[in-house]
Amino acid sequence: MQRRKFLSLGAVAVAAMMPSSLSATDYRKTKPDTWTAKTVDDSIKKLYGSGKLIEKGVKLNTPDVAANGGAIPVDISSNIAAKSVALFQDANPESTVAVWTVPENGIVDYSLKIKMKASGTMTVVVEGLDGNLYVANKTLQVALGGCEG
Amino acid sequence: MKLKAKAKNGIVKAKVMMQHDMITYDQAKKKGVKPNFITYVTASVDGKIVYEASTSQFLSKNPILKYKFRGEKGKKLTMTWQDLLGNTKSSTKKIK
Repeated sequence: MQRRKFLSLGAVAVAAMMPSSLSATDYRKTKPDTWTAKTVDDSIKKLYGSGKLIEKGVKLNTPDVAANGGAIPVDISSNIAAKSVALFQDANPESTVAVWTVPENGIVDYSLKIKMKASGTMTVVVEGLDGNLYVANKTLQVALGGCEG
Repeated sequence: MKLKAKAKNGIVKAKVMMQHDMITYDQAKKKGVKPNFITYVTASVDGKIVYEASTSQFLSKNPILKYKFRGEKGKKLTMTWQDLLGNTKSSTKKIK
């Protein structure tokens, strides 16, 4: 009996450990389809399944007119307790730009520079710990395309 | 890789510049070189992951990333990237 008890304790401990081990995911390996999808809707579906999108609580900040499409600054922030954050756009051949895994008790405040071929719309999706998908959009003009095409 | 991290009130602001050409599939076709871009970036303090991103070819050339996490002064922040061809690079810096 002793041993059996010990084993069940171990199972509980493993279950408790799960969230922290989940925070190490390479989305390129686990969701390879996302990276080849051609439209934003398609990419979101491949990454998160067909969840309802709620337009709330996510801030996406980019310039309205980007002079250089080769390096467009993008700021993403949110106060939602999040599991992951994904950035998409609809001007390039494939739409997924990046997917972040938010570590436990992490802060959603990311900035990066991206390339865009032409004017288009950026979409950011925040997957909350409550399972809902929060979304924000921003349409911007690109004066000079950034993919050398 | 240039890495900077500064702590204030328990929140660390980190900024990193990764030297990489980030050649997209389109550019590669035109120039006749292999596409290559950073696909996976992680940062950790004391072996605990504080930042993790899977990225595509649409990051700018020599991408700059900024992020925030909860942490303290004096600890070491290690950042690692991996690209499509399997190269990895790692860099460590003390949080100021």
